[in-house]
Amino acid sequence: MQVKSLLFAGGALLAGASTAAASGFQVNLGGQKNIGMGGVGVALSLDNAAMFYNPGALAMVRGNGVQVGANAAIARNSFRAESGTGDQRQLDNTLVTPVNFYAAFGPKEGKWKIGIGAYTPFGSELHYNKQWEGRYSLTDINLRSVFGQLTGSYAITDKLSIGAGLVVLAYGDVDLQKDIPIESQAGAPTPHITLHGKAEQKLGYNAGIYFKPSEKLSVGVSYRSQIDAEIKNGDVRLRDVIASTGGKFTATNFSATLPLPATASIGFAVMPNEKLIVSLDANYVFWNKYRTLDFAFSGNNGYGGTGSNAVPGLVGGSTTSSAKRYYQDALCFRLGGQYMATKELAVRVGGFYDFSAVKDGYVSPETPDADRIGLSAGFTYTFAERFGVDASFLYEDFMKRSQTQADLLDNGTTDRVAGTYKTRIFVPGIGLFVKF
Amino acid sequence: MSKTLTFNAAALATLGLALGSCQPNIEDNHPAATAGAADFTSYVAVGNSLTSGYADGGLYNAGIRVSYPAILAQQFAKTERGPANFVQPLFDESKKDGSGYLKLVNSFPTTGPNAGATVAAPTQPTPANMFLGEQLAVNFPIVSLPGGNQLAAYTGSQPDNLGVPGISVLSSVSALTGGLAPFGYINPFFERLLPASERFTKDYVTYIGQKNATFFTCWLGSNDVLTYATNGATNAPDPVSGTVNPFGDLTDTTRFGAGYRAILRTMTRNGTVKGAAANIPNVTNIPYFTTVTVGAVAASFKAINPASPGVFIQTSSATAPVRLATSADLLTLTAQGYIAAVVAAGGTAPGSLPTSPLPNKYVLDASEVSAVTARTTQLNVIIAKTARQYKVALADMSAYFTNLAAQGVVTDGVSNSATFATGNLFSLDGVHPTPRGYALIANEWIRNINAYYGATIPTVAPNDYRGVLFP
Repeated sequence: MQVKSLLFAGGALLAGASTAAASGFQVNLGGQKNIGMGGVGVALSLDNAAMFYNPGALAMVRGNGVQVGANAAIARNSFRAESGTGDQRQLDNTLVTPVNFYAAFGPKEGKWKIGIGAYTPFGSELHYNKQWEGRYSLTDINLRSVFGQLTGSYAITDKLSIGAGLVVLAYGDVDLQKDIPIESQAGAPTPHITLHGKAEQKLGYNAGIYFKPSEKLSVGVSYRSQIDAEIKNGDVRLRDVIASTGGKFTATNFSATLPLPATASIGFAVMPNEKLIVSLDANYVFWNKYRTLDFAFSGNNGYGGTGSNAVPGLVGGSTTSSAKRYYQDALCFRLGGQYMATKELAVRVGGFYDFSAVKDGYVSPETPDADRIGLSAGFTYTFAERFGVDASFLYEDFMKRSQTQADLLDNGTTDRVAGTYKTRIFVPGIGLFVKF
Repeated sequence: MSKTLTFNAAALATLGLALGSCQPNIEDNHPAATAGAADFTSYVAVGNSLTSGYADGGLYNAGIRVSYPAILAQQFAKTERGPANFVQPLFDESKKDGSGYLKLVNSFPTTGPNAGATVAAPTQPTPANMFLGEQLAVNFPIVSLPGGNQLAAYTGSQPDNLGVPGISVLSSVSALTGGLAPFGYINPFFERLLPASERFTKDYVTYIGQKNATFFTCWLGSNDVLTYATNGATNAPDPVSGTVNPFGDLTDTTRFGAGYRAILRTMTRNGTVKGAAANIPNVTNIPYFTTVTVGAVAASFKAINPASPGVFIQTSSATAPVRLATSADLLTLTAQGYIAAVVAAGGTAPGSLPTSPLPNKYVLDASEVSAVTARTTQLNVIIAKTARQYKVALADMSAYFTNLAAQGVVTDGVSNSATFATGNLFSLDGVHPTPRGYALIANEWIRNINAYYGATIPTVAPNDYRGVLFP
C-alpha cells in the first residue's frame, strides 16, 4: 500500500493537481532542491521548480536551464482492525516514482522568462492484503497522473516579479478495486469490482508574486486553482459475479468527479549571509470542497436478463453510490534551510508539519490520512558551473490514527473500516540539471 | 561526479537495508486475553437450536462448527483459563449434512419478467432433487419420530455443546408435564445424543446435569414461544401423523419459572458455578414473519383480479374467524410457497376469497402477535430474575435482536440486515442466524461475559463467517 502521501484518493483521480503539499492526497515533490528543504519554495528562486511553487519567482531564477528529478516513494503502512484478532496488517509494499521536469528560457538579464514543466503529482498505489478486514471497502488503488504547465513570469522591477501558469491535467487515470460482500455456494472466489477510468483533460492555473526587498529578505505568495477531475465513461469491470445475483450488477460504465482543491501559499525567506538561506512557508489547502465521492453507473452487461425486471446500470442493486468525505481545509507549515558549504556543494535540511484533511471518524482506506511530520535533507553538487546533481531524502511519519466502529456509526461512515492506521514514508530522490 | 554517485549508491544501499525494518508497529491497546473472575477450563453450552448451530432449516456439520458455543470456546481458549478442547456432537463426515438443509437453487426463466436472468429460490432437499447432493444422516429405512426423521446416533463422549434443536424449558424437565412424552423419544436431535436405553427416561435437565462445567452458557426459552408463533399460533394436530405437539403452545409462566430455575440450579450447582444466560429475542421481527407481507400478497392478488379487496385470513378469534388482513397481521415465510403450491395444483389462491382464507397456521394475526410478545416479556422477566438469583451474567439478546432487526449492523464496511437472504444475518429458514449472525451473537455473549466477570476475551471478526451462500 502505499502511501498516502502521495496518494490518495478515493476514487480519485487526480489529486495531484493541487500541488502544494499538504494532507489529503496531495504530493509535494515538485523539485529536488525544495524537497531537501522540507518543501519550502514560495519565497525562493532556487531553480526552475519555482514554476511549481511560485511562478512569480521564475523571472528571478538565474539563467536558462533544464532539469529533471525522480523520486522513489517507499511507504510502509500498518493497520490493525478493531474487529477480530487485532492482528496487524501490513500493506503490500510498492514503489512509486514521481518525477518532475522543468525547462525555462528567457533573454540574458532579461525581465521575463517562460517555462514549461511536467510532473506526476501522484502516482500512487496501495495494495492491501487480499484478506484484510477492509477488503469490502477497498483492496487496491492505483492512481496515475501527468500534469503539464506553461508558465510566464515577468520582473516588474528588480525586486518584484509576478508570474502565472496554465496548468493542464494532461493525463490521469484511476484503478479502484474492492471485493463484493456476497458469497458463493460453489466456493468460487469472492466477487470483485474494478473501476477503471481516464480523466478528462482539464485546465487550471497558478499564479504568484515574489518580492525581494533586500539581499537579506524575500517573500512570496502563490495560488493554485481548483481543478475538477472528471471521469466519464470509465469501465466497470466485474469479476466472479455470482449468477443469481447478476441482476444487481448490470453496469458497464461509471462516471465520477473529484474536486482537486485550490491551494494558497505564503512564504518568507531570510538570507543572513551569502551562504545561508532559511525559509518558512505556510500552505492552506481548500479541502472542504471535497464533500462526497459520487459514482453514477450506467450501461447493461445483460446479467439481469431481458425481462421487465431487468434494470441496467446497477452495482450492488443501485445506480449510484455516494461516500462521505467531508474533508476539512488543511494547513501545512514548512521550514527549510540551505547552506553553501563550498562553491560547488550546497547542503539542505528542512521539515514540515502537515495537518490532516480528513476529519476524525472519516478515515478511509484509500487515504489513511493523518497529521504528519516530515524531515528532509539534501544536497546539490555542481560541476563546471553548468551541470549539477541534486539529491534529496524525505522521511514522513504519520501520527497513529484510530477510529472506532462507534465513530463510524456516529458519522454515517460505516462504508469504511474501524481500526488504527500508521504510516511512514521514505522518499529518496535524485535530480540532474544543466544551465546555459 | 563519480564520487558523488558512489556516495549516493552507498547511501541508497544502506537505506534499502534500513527500510526492511521500518514497518511501523501499532502496539498499543491490544490487551492480553484474560478470563477475569471466570474459569473456562470446562465450558458447557446449554440451549436449543440457536446453541446447536442449526441453520437453513437443518443441523449439519458446517453449521455446528460455527455455532456460537464453538466460537466462544475458541475465544475462551485465548485466555489463561480456556478449555483444552470443546466437544461438539458432529455427524460422521460421511453424513456431514445431518438432517439436511435448505439451499438456494437457480432457475433460468426464458419468459416473464425475469427472462434471461438467473433466479435463486430456497429449496428443500428431497428425493426428487437427489437431496441437493447432500450427505444426510437420516436413517434408512426412515424411522419417523413425532418431531421428524430419526438421525444417525452420535457415538462420542457427551458433548460440551449440549444445544438441542427444538428443546424448550417446558420440555427440558419431565416433571413439568408429569413425565408426558419424553423429549428423547419425540425429538430426533435429542434422541441421537442419548444411549438407546435412556431415550424414554432421561430428560434434558438430567442430561445436562451430567456435565461438570466450570463455566456454562444457557440460552433457552425461545421454543416456549417460537414453536407456537411459527405455526401461526395454532397447535393443531400434525396432518399426517395426527399427533399434537405437547410442547407446541405458549408455555405458562408458572411452569416456565419452575423449569428455568431447575436448569440454572443444575448448571450452577446451586449458585457455585459461574456462567451466563441469555433471554428470549422477540420472535415477531425475524424474517420468518417479515418477508411475506400482507401488502405484497394483496398486490399479487390485485394483479390478477383488480377487484380483489385484499388478503382473507383465518384467525383464532371466535367472533371473526375470517377477515381481511391488515399490515398488523404477519404472514409466515412459508405462506408464499403454500399459496403458490395450491394455485399450481389448480386451486383457488388461499386468501383471495372469504371462502378460501389463508389458513391460521400461515398467519400470526395482530392479537396473536400481542400474545406472543407479551409472553416473551413475561418469560424474560423470569430469566433475568433467575440469573440474578444464581449470580450469572445475563446477555440481553432480546434487546440485541430488536436493535438488529431495526437497524441491521455494519461489519467492517459490510451492511448486514434482518432482510431475508440478502441481509446475510438470517439463514434460509428465516428464523436461525447465518454463521455471520452467530458470530455477532458470540461477540454479544463475549461483551456481556467480559463486563460481568472482568474478563478481556477478544471478539471475532464477523466477516470471517459467511452470510447466505448464493448459487
